[in-house]
This record gives sequence, C-alpha cells and structure tokens, in this order.
Amino acid sequence: MASGLRKSLLVIAALTGLVGAGCAPAEEQGIELSIATFGEFGYGSLLKEYEAAHPGIRIQNRVADFEAHHKAIATQLAAGRGAADVVAIEEQYMPQFRQSADKFVDLNGFGAGGLRAQWPQWKWEQGLADSGRIVMGLGTDMGGLAMCFRKDYFAQAGLPTERAAVAALWPTWEDYAKIGDLFSGKVSSAKFADSAGGIYTAVLNQSPENFFSAKDDSFIADRNPALRRAFTIAGQIGAKGQTARVTPFTQPWNVAIKQGSFATIACLAWMLTQIQEAGGPENAGKWDVAAVPGGGGNNGGSFLTVPTQSKHQREAYDLAKWLTEPAQEVRLFTESNILPSEPAAYGAPEVLSKTDPYFSGAPIGRIYAASADSLKPNYRGLKDAKVRPTFGTALGRVESGKQTLDAAWDQAVTEARAAAS
Amino acid sequence: MVMPFFALFTVFGLFPLLYTLWVSLHDWQLINGDEGFVALDNYFELFGDPKFYNALGNTLTLLLLATVPQIVLALGIAALLDRPLRAKTFWRSAVLLPNVVSVAAVALVFGQLFGRDFGVVNWLLGLVGAPRLDWHAQGWSAQVAIALIVVWRWAGYNALLYLAAMQSVPAELYEAAELDGASRLRQFFSVTLPAIRPTILFTAIVSAIGGMQLFVEPQLFDTNGVAGTGGDDRQFQTIVMYLYEKGFGQFDAGYAAAIAWVVFLVCAALAAACVVLARRLPGRS
Repeated sequence: MASGLRKSLLVIAALTGLVGAGCAPAEEQGIELSIATFGEFGYGSLLKEYEAAHPGIRIQNRVADFEAHHKAIATQLAAGRGAADVVAIEEQYMPQFRQSADKFVDLNGFGAGGLRAQWPQWKWEQGLADSGRIVMGLGTDMGGLAMCFRKDYFAQAGLPTERAAVAALWPTWEDYAKIGDLFSGKVSSAKFADSAGGIYTAVLNQSPENFFSAKDDSFIADRNPALRRAFTIAGQIGAKGQTARVTPFTQPWNVAIKQGSFATIACLAWMLTQIQEAGGPENAGKWDVAAVPGGGGNNGGSFLTVPTQSKHQREAYDLAKWLTEPAQEVRLFTESNILPSEPAAYGAPEVLSKTDPYFSGAPIGRIYAASADSLKPNYRGLKDAKVRPTFGTALGRVESGKQTLDAAWDQAVTEARAAAS
Repeated sequence: MVMPFFALFTVFGLFPLLYTLWVSLHDWQLINGDEGFVALDNYFELFGDPKFYNALGNTLTLLLLATVPQIVLALGIAALLDRPLRAKTFWRSAVLLPNVVSVAAVALVFGQLFGRDFGVVNWLLGLVGAPRLDWHAQGWSAQVAIALIVVWRWAGYNALLYLAAMQSVPAELYEAAELDGASRLRQFFSVTLPAIRPTILFTAIVSAIGGMQLFVEPQLFDTNGVAGTGGDDRQFQTIVMYLYEKGFGQFDAGYAAAIAWVVFLVCAALAAACVVLARRLPGRS
C-alpha cells in the first residue's frame, strides 16, 4: 500500500514535472515579449518596427475576439500563468479587473506618472485603480462616434445625400427616429438601422451616467432618465420593425452589410474597417459618414496593462509606453482607423486631413476628431458588466415582438437590480 | 498495473471534482480566489434562482429532443447496415463521418443554415411556400434546430455500436424465429432489440450524460455572440451555458462550482434512472 502510494506520487511528480518543463520559456538569447489584443488594434506594422529598433526583442501578437480575450485574461490571472506580457483591456471590463489590481504591475514604478499629460483627464483616470494610487493601464484608442449611412438608400427615400445636409436632419436622436419613420415609408428593400441595441448603446453613451451613480456607485438604472430615454428611442424604432436585427460583428451582421440590409449605423472609427471588409469592393462608394445625433459619444476604448506574472515587466512597460505615444497613435489612425484618445494625436494634421475613399471620400479625420472633442466620458460602475446585458437582451425581445417596450423595460430593471445586488 | 490509471484519475478526475465542491462552499471570485467560507449559501441561492430552473428545463427538453430520435435513427441505420451490402466498409465509415467533424464547425454551420434572413432552411421553406421562421427567436424552434445538430453528429456513431452488438446475436435465434414464421419486423423487435439491450442502455446513459453537458452546440448556434445567455429570452440556454455565464462572464466561480455539482448529481441520477428503466424492458433472460 505504502509503496503503491509512493509510486502514484512519483507518477504525479513526473507528470507535473513534464507540465512544468513543457511551459518553460525557451529564450536563451534575447527576450520574447507577448502582447494580447482583441479585434483589430492595428499593431502589425508597429510591432515589426519596434522589433527592428530593439534588437534582441521579439514580439508575439496574440489576437482573439472581444469576449474570448477578456475571459482568457480572467483565467490566466486566476491561474497565475499564461497571460501575455502586455494585455489590452477594454473600458467596459476595467471595473471588473480593477478589483484585482494586485495582479497588475503598478506602472508608476516605471515612471508612468510622468505620462499623464498625454491623455485627457477622464481617459487617464479610467486607467487608474485603488482610488488613483495605482496606474494600471495606459490608454490606447477611444470610441468616438459618427453615423454611417447609405447614400443610395437615402436617395431612394427622397432624403438629402450630402453628409452635412444629412447631419442636419438629425440634431437629436428624436429627430433621427422621425427620419426613420420617413425612410421606412419610402424604402422597403432595406431597414433604417442595424439594430435597436446599436442605437441604444450610442444614445446611452452620450450620458455621463448609465446604470450606476458616478457619485457613490449606487444603482440608478431604475430612475436614470437618460437610460430610459435611450431604451425608449431604440426600442420604439425596433418595435416598428425598422431595424435589420443584426448584432454588430456577428456573421449575420457581415452578411447584412454585404447584402445592403440596412441604411444607417452608429459607427466607431475602427468600425469603418469592418464595414469595408464586410461590404467588399462592390459596395465601395455607397456609404458615407455624417455626424452622429446628439453630438459626440464614447463607445469604449482600451488600455494596455502589464500583469505581475510577466517575467519582463520593464520591457513590457517600454513597449506599452511606445505603442501609446502620440506619434504611434497617429499612425494607428492613418493606417487602421483606430481613433487616438490623445488630443495631441487626434489633433495632428495627418489625422485631420484623412479621408476615406471607400466612404465616398468622407473627411473621417475631421469628423471623428470633432466627435472626440465633444466626447463626454461615462462612469462605469463596479457591476457594470453584470447589469449591461439585461437591457440589451430586453431590446432584443422588443425587436422580435416578444414583449412590449414597457414589459421588457420592467423585466430588464428587475433583472438588473438582482444582478447588482 | 492499474496504478497509472488511478494516478491519472486522481489528478484529473477526483481532485478537480473535490476541489470544485470546496470552491462551491465559498464566495469565490474567478480572479481573486477565496473570499470566505459560506457553507451551502451558493446552493440555497441556486435553488431559488429562476434562471437556473429555466436552464435546467431547457437542458432536459433538449436531452429528450436529441436522445430519443437519435436512438431510433441509429437503430434504423444499424438494421440497414446489418444486411448483406456492397461496399460495406464505405457505408460504415460514411455514417461515422459526421462524428469526426469538429463540433464547433458543425454548430457554426447549422447556426447559419437556420439563419433568419439568409439561411438555407428558410430559403427551402420559402420554395415550398411555407412561412419563414425566426429559428433562433422561439424556444421550441431553436431547440429543435440544436437537437438536430446533436442527432446529426451522434446517430451514426451509435449505429455502429448497435451494428457491432447486432452482429454478435447468435444466428440460430433468427433461424428459429424464421421457422416460427416471424416477419423481419417481428424478428427485429423480438430477437434483435432484446439481444442488444445492454448496448442500448449504454448509449442511452452516454447520451443522457452528454446531453446534460450540452454546451458547444447551443453556444455556437447563437449567432448573436458568445455571451452564453442562449438568446434574448434565455430560450436555449443550457445548464452548462449558465455555468459559463456565471463563472466566466461574471467571474462568480463559487456559484458556477455549485452549478457544476448539481449537474454532476443530475447526471448520476439520470444514469441510475436509465439502469432501472432498462431492467424493466423485456429481456432475453
């Protein structure tokens, strides 16, 4: 029995030894850094350039999709191994990860505090943790908004097609909804908008508070008029069947763009690339970009962090610092439409003068820089990620005709309250 | 000689099982770990959670929708393969083919086949003048579509197991039945089925356990993303998807561990029920 036990322990030891050996980094000469991002960060050419300028450093870029990326970070932090040296975190997930700030390197230790003037105050503060004592992440892009629209469908509906005139149609979201009625009365081959969820998110993000109070993080979803307004405007458009009912970046969404199933979509700068990829060359010149109703708005944006489990924290910080410098941020916009969060970057002449031929030559640099200037940051509560989906699925039920707007709202508030408690 | 098995089982089976139980008794955050012992609080909360019952109900209906047609279909295929055939090996490998295709790929393809606007199934429905369906939106239609994925993947595999069992049925039994004037159909029900009962029982248990853990098919069937809610109304959220939503979406590992243990207990109960049921079937003895 005793010998049997010893044998089994030996086997276990051998197994764990094997596992350990399998994971050991093989880097005798030089340093291998890894950077984990999601979706499209546009880092490809920048990373090559960084490698060329820093002999001895090789960089591996791991790209996953939004959900998978953030879930992977959570498990890697929990396990204490497997995370990349530089990890991107989206604004929406920051409150959740901020609660585990001890798993991230305090970038103050490398002098990050001296960089603070690069960002507007709100973006800098979103990257802090532990009541501002810890610098957890350096800001990358931000989610300035515009409204992409199909000129051909607007012409069919007898609406203006020139971008300034189109923007003048919808100073507010209520006006946008009225144009939706007008459009839907004239055009039957396409829906007015992509989804109620998209409209709702755009409207809601123009309000400084969503589900939680910026003052004390208390639950205000049930009485925040801005939330109710966003829900109602979007829900009514959805209930009238004026949306194509496709969730952004999903396969049906790609097909809908290819087939021209909808005429407007609130679009972030980097979404332009995705629309172009989904639409393909045959849709070139059909889209244009106008200002979004209600002024600016912030649909997210990310931060670069360094987990404490990284073996090359100094080098990782240097890379993150370099990637978030204005000079590189400018290039990310000119090369990949990633909107910089730094005024020095989005105010740069190369950014301001950028036009996009796919979108009828729209001056996207000027449009997004203007939206960035009027941007109001949102407060994201600690339990934001738990509460947010309940309103999204509620709008889905309204769109598919399963529930009335009021019933869906009541259910969403009840579920949100339970999720926040 | 069995020592290596038990060593592996301890490391990869028993330890995770007990550790999950330990986690389920704590307020355990995915990243931060243990935040205090709470005894059975997670379980009490779970038993009062309507979303848990919704997910459990969906899982059980999906289990029935998938397992019953699967077994019937597999028996039919096996009976066909059990006759003198040309190119025997070809047919046998052909029925196994769906099972070796990646489940993720299959689920993604089916999710698109059942698409609302541009799905092939709706296009076919349109050709015959039937109304198009929003397959994902309704609970029953989504579950039928998901069950179809499971049946498509596993019917052939089970058919091969049945075929193997059928070929070990002594030929004298059939000869005797034929002398008694039994039709082929009668032979199938009175000779074949009782003879392969243990195999049917085995596949039923395996399908039931697999059905309780159904995840990839419904998860990827959802063309709206991978949040794991199974539709706007949680109309096709299975119990493991709920575990995923809680554990990996909301980082509530303690609660997710409690769900895992309940799934384990339900699996054990289902297996026991299968055994009892099978004992009551008419047997050869």
